[in-house]
Amino acid sequence: MTPMFLLMAAGSLAVPAVALWALRWAVGHGEFQMPERAALLPFDEAEPVGEATDIILNQRTSKR
Amino acid sequence: MNYGPLLFLGILFTLASSWVGLVLMPNRQLGGLTPDTSTNAAGVVVVYPQARPGEAQQGAEIYRSLGCVYCHSQQVRPEGFGSDIERGWGKRRTVSRDYIYDKPVMLGTSRTGPDLTNIGERQPSVEWHLSHLYNPQITSKGSVMPPYPFLFEVRPVGARGPSADALKLSGEHAAPAGFEVVPTAAAKQLVAYLRSLKTSSPLPEAPLPRKGESDDAKSSATATNTPASK
Amino acid sequence: MSAPSKTLSALMPGDVPAGDGRRALLAEIDASCRVPVLFFVVSGLAWLLLGTLLALVASIKLHHPGFLASWEFLTFGRVRPAHLNTVIYGWASQTGIGVTLWLMCRLCRVPFVAPGLATVAAVFWNLGLTVGTAGILAGDSTSIEWLEMPRYATPILFVSYAMIAVWSVITFRLRTERHLYVSQWYLLAALLWFPWLYATAQIMLVMEPVRGTVQAAVNWWFAHNVLGLWFTPIGLGAIYYFIPKVIGRPIHSYYLSVLGFWSLALFYNWNGLHHLIGGPLPAWMITVSIVASVMMLVPVTVVAINHHFTMWGHFSKLWHSPTLRFVVLGAVCYTLTSLQGIANSLRSYSEVVHFTHHTIAHAHLGVYGFFTMVMFGSLYYVLPRITCREWPCLGLVSVHFWACTLGLFLYVVPLSVGGFLQGLAMNDASVPFLKVVEGTLPWLKLRTCAGLLLGLGHLAFVANVAWMLARVFGPYRKPVVALLTGQETPVVVGK
Ligand code: HEC
Ligand code: HEM
Repeated sequence: MTPMFLLMAAGSLAVPAVALWALRWAVGHGEFQMPERAALLPFDEAEPVGEATDIILNQRTSKR
Repeated sequence: MNYGPLLFLGILFTLASSWVGLVLMPNRQLGGLTPDTSTNAAGVVVVYPQARPGEAQQGAEIYRSLGCVYCHSQQVRPEGFGSDIERGWGKRRTVSRDYIYDKPVMLGTSRTGPDLTNIGERQPSVEWHLSHLYNPQITSKGSVMPPYPFLFEVRPVGARGPSADALKLSGEHAAPAGFEVVPTAAAKQLVAYLRSLKTSSPLPEAPLPRKGESDDAKSSATATNTPASK
Repeated sequence: MSAPSKTLSALMPGDVPAGDGRRALLAEIDASCRVPVLFFVVSGLAWLLLGTLLALVASIKLHHPGFLASWEFLTFGRVRPAHLNTVIYGWASQTGIGVTLWLMCRLCRVPFVAPGLATVAAVFWNLGLTVGTAGILAGDSTSIEWLEMPRYATPILFVSYAMIAVWSVITFRLRTERHLYVSQWYLLAALLWFPWLYATAQIMLVMEPVRGTVQAAVNWWFAHNVLGLWFTPIGLGAIYYFIPKVIGRPIHSYYLSVLGFWSLALFYNWNGLHHLIGGPLPAWMITVSIVASVMMLVPVTVVAINHHFTMWGHFSKLWHSPTLRFVVLGAVCYTLTSLQGIANSLRSYSEVVHFTHHTIAHAHLGVYGFFTMVMFGSLYYVLPRITCREWPCLGLVSVHFWACTLGLFLYVVPLSVGGFLQGLAMNDASVPFLKVVEGTLPWLKLRTCAGLLLGLGHLAFVANVAWMLARVFGPYRKPVVALLTGQETPVVVGK
């Protein structure tokens, strides 16, 4: 009972503490600046935004 | 963004939290449950639940191996929640203590067939069970329960006449002339297991529901008359 | 480094790639994935066909119990778990891993690291599954739902899971793209959660079983998390990649996707015990899970908004892209199955539908409608790129799509209704049990028809893949075709 209780008490203190530390670390490293830019990661110079890929069905004009 | 460490910690903690909450805590609360000892009206000491006797335990393995759990549950929901008690599937709801000897515990999630928590009380007849397993259509026309012919042996009737445990079949299900259908050891074990399924002894945390003062005494008497060791 | 596109350089100043000073090209990465990814995918497809066959047998048995009844190894109680294990661990998990490996390489911008490790993992996986499925059919099933494979098979599988988790950490460490995309969060989380879940469940249920109903708690903590912390993140990770990629437009809101991830991670893993409503466990445990299930409204709504708003204005592309069709269908099914699941976890609703075929309909809307559809869509994108071959027959693509979509519809809608009616009848003690059974028959027969349609779709897909692979390995190597855009090939290697 007591070791279990201590473990849980320690755990419930440690978890938020670590979370806070991680959050501080992340803010300190500029992790929260312009998060929206990560949305561009699937794209690159070869396949930029604005260019659809995988357009293969129902297009009579395409030659192969 | 480079959330690397944050991500790893988050992945760790979220699962750890539910592991503590849904696995460790239940284990702490329920892992140490012991059988209940009480004295019934007749002054007899009743210990419930009790471990299954050998043949029934072997039958539990057959039940597991044949996957009966995919159609049959073994849990009685409380009064007022579903109609388990009205259907006669049990006299009271089941609680954790009913299952302390079950490995694996086969609560089930499907009721394609009826609940079997108390089948040992509802249907004590060995013969009924054997015919039903051989082909459910014999006892329950229209059932979707599969037949289990491989739990039986069809063999020529011996010189001394039919064996004692041959099934008494008639009509379309009868064995060909000169042959008889005899249960294998596995079939007998399975039936012993089914007959051992009884959970109507009251427990402090799950007394038998009181229907009214008059039949209260009667129902608790019948319950304690059926020792769980059978 | 080739000239970065305007958008990228504008939005990502100072984003200097590591390594040899140049980002690996997508085409190079794709080619490096060929062997390990194909290994997982092709074995996944083989298990899909076997699993479909077992499903049909089980389905027919439920309305014609005499069907194939004299063989012990084909009895319903063995075919059903064999079906579950082959489709869950054989098809869905392996294909999911294949797609995950590819996505991880692309998003981390590294050519496939240690392909040998991943290929050996795939060999172990298939070995474990073969032993496990044979064990179930032979009668060694544990009868613990979702963990039926016998104890002599599961350690083999675990070796494989662990190797894949190690692989993912190595790839993650070696990444040349420092920034993380939301898909990577989901995928990494899935790859790390799963071995943990699996090991815990094996130890607490099969190796050293805990007592009585604690087993049920562990069982459903595990089984629900397989859905929520394994398939769901892989499926969502793939959706988050493929919808923007195909339509060429970034995700609607990246903020929302972050919120979606963390709320899923927080709430989903507490859901499991809603499978035991009305059961013998103490009320608080089940209540906790019901609350967490309702909280799932947050991630589900967030994901729905994000996916469906990203698609807004691009629906015409559904007509042209098989990937988009399947993935968007999967995204819609995710929303639907989650809402249905939340309803299922409410006490009053569960009182009726728990123990009925309604649950099975829900399960298929999730694992099939959502996960399998997303995987089909992903494969339509991945396979041409790793093999450098076009899909050989577009007619088969249409057969696949329509057969599976109609089959899914025919499976889920009638069985949901039928299951609900079954539950109402069962809760009315004046209806004899055999009458309840009789009432389910028409719905179960419809399910067999649906299964046939799904099987047809699977055959069409497998035929198309086999045809494509025959070209890859056969003598007739066509020159690389412009990858699916119908335009000049963008794959120009150089700096
Ligand atoms: C496909 C689903 C299915 C499977 C698998 C199945 N059953 Fe059944 N079972 C039923 C149905 C439906 C009924 C109700 C009709 C009847 O009595 O046959 C039933 C009824 C029963 C009954 C009678 C219950 C009562 O209240 O009268 C027993 C006992 C039983 N089954 C035992 C078993 C055993 C033992 C196995 C495994 C070897 C098994 N069942 C496998 C569907 C199934
Ligand atoms: C997001 C919220 C979800 C909730 C709250 C939820 C809830 C539930 C509930 C309550 C059940 C049990 C029903 C019963 O037995 O009475 C169930 C079963 C099931 N669900 Fe979900 N669900 C959700 C999403 C999903 C998803 C996304 C998938 C697929 C990836 C899925 C697949 C399944 C399967 C396979 C079962 C059947 C389990 C079995 O009995 O073998 N669910 N779900």
